[in-house]
Amino acid sequence: MLRFVLNEAGRLLLGLFGAALMAAAVAALSVPHAADGLAYFLVAWAGRINELIHLRFGESVISGLSIFVELATRLPLTLGLVGEGVVVAALVGVPIGFLFGAGPVRRAAAPLIQIVAAAPVFCAGLALAYGAASLLHWPVPINGGASIGPGAFPQNAAQAQAMVLPALTVGLAGAAAVQLALRRAAAEAGQESWRFFLRRMGLASWDVERSYVMPQIFAGLLASLGEVMLALLSAAAVAEWVFSCRGAADLFVKSVALHDWSAAAAVLFVFASLTLVAQFVGQCGARLLTNPGPAR
Amino acid sequence: MNPALPAVTGAQSLRTTLRVLGWTGLGLIAVAVSLSDFLASAPPDAAAIGPLLTPPSESFKFGTDILGRNMLSETLHGLSASVRLAVPAALIALLFGTLFGSVAARLPVLVSLTLRWLLGILAALPALLLAILIIALTARGWASLAAGLSAAPLAFVRGFDRASVQARAVHSEYARATGISSATLLRRDLVYEFSGTLSASAARALAAVTIILSTASFLGFGAEPPHRDLGLMIAAAKTYYLHAWWTAAFPALTLMILILFARLAAGLDEGERP
Repeated sequence: MLRFVLNEAGRLLLGLFGAALMAAAVAALSVPHAADGLAYFLVAWAGRINELIHLRFGESVISGLSIFVELATRLPLTLGLVGEGVVVAALVGVPIGFLFGAGPVRRAAAPLIQIVAAAPVFCAGLALAYGAASLLHWPVPINGGASIGPGAFPQNAAQAQAMVLPALTVGLAGAAAVQLALRRAAAEAGQESWRFFLRRMGLASWDVERSYVMPQIFAGLLASLGEVMLALLSAAAVAEWVFSCRGAADLFVKSVALHDWSAAAAVLFVFASLTLVAQFVGQCGARLLTNPGPAR
Repeated sequence: MNPALPAVTGAQSLRTTLRVLGWTGLGLIAVAVSLSDFLASAPPDAAAIGPLLTPPSESFKFGTDILGRNMLSETLHGLSASVRLAVPAALIALLFGTLFGSVAARLPVLVSLTLRWLLGILAALPALLLAILIIALTARGWASLAAGLSAAPLAFVRGFDRASVQARAVHSEYARATGISSATLLRRDLVYEFSGTLSASAARALAAVTIILSTASFLGFGAEPPHRDLGLMIAAAKTYYLHAWWTAAFPALTLMILILFARLAAGLDEGERP
């Protein structure tokens, strides 16, 4: 197990190093004349790498603030959305994944799941906003009126209410990824021959499911943690745009639109790091569940 | 007699039926796209065709928007623009994703591991953000290329990892032992792997890039008027759809139908197979 963790840690470090190089390449575009030719770009890139080594992240050309301050202000809201999304994803995605992951229900539910999964996140967000505005008469900040954030936690009831729809949007996207990972893992576990042999050895079906199949399925979910994180971050970008939240994903979209490459590079690096760390944690967790080592 | 057999046959029958339904739907969409200029009663972006924000009625089946544009005509043109952007993007994703990943796994170790590392980093970014970045670095006219390239890294990583396992499989050892060259083995493996799954992979790529393209357009990084795609139409309706639901609902429904048919054509077990 230790060797596996060290291996994965090495891959994580290599990934973070590559993400830093990529971020430096994007940030280099903000250097004057960097786009004039390969030689100019390489010089600008080397300069940005040097600045990164000395922990100088540059300034946003839009706000004039240091990128570090900009990220520190904006990131908590995005992380809060992702965190709330994880809770919704677990509450909705796990039961759906288990319910529709095996047996005849799986075949019957497959077309329904395809229909639900065909809705892009921004359509789901707009539909939620429409439902909240017309059925619950909530004030919905979808047209840049009262924007949400920054800050991970709402300060009052109005802010808490405003956070419900973005969190639900992100959570439902996460739930789709979670149920997909669970159904995939359940389908793989369903084809394993050891289920049959364990029953032939006298184990009750429930014991086989509880002690052997469930860990396999949860391990499958953990192994897909990187993909779940990608779905959550992507949905956060859309939710922040739809519901006028001033988070890091919103900063990325605006920075790219206004060619503020330093800010865009910083957000890219943070998002890539989050995904890589989720992959690392997920792989180690999956390994622990399926191959706990000689102690057990 | 194995009692599992009828269930498997039933599942396969359902899967085949739905795949046929998916491809039939995509075929109908292709016909609608190619005839969109004839089917639509107004040219793209034609304003003041009717009263402003008219709900669906006999005269205007999908209603009109805030500029008096016929929503049925606009939705048809939007569908056409979306499909015309998505088809080349899907081909690019297929070529530079799954196919390139399968080939790269059989390249010399140093080259293949470097490619896996580079593409693995890109795959750690949400495809939507990558597409937005590429569009901003190039031009909006290159949205198809951007969507295809942004969807490719994840497909590359999956194709690479699958092919790496296959390259170490027993049949590869036998092939090498009997003197079959690496190039021949690669060609045979690719034919074997893609002959049955190419259409499903293409449909899956079409669904993925359609979502990326429409979302990028919704965020302001895609098609431009007068060639509005469905994402841009929904973005334009965002300011008033709470009072005029039809301005967003019909383009959104059309977009979902396009994605649904592509997903059905890809097969119901999408995602359930490693």
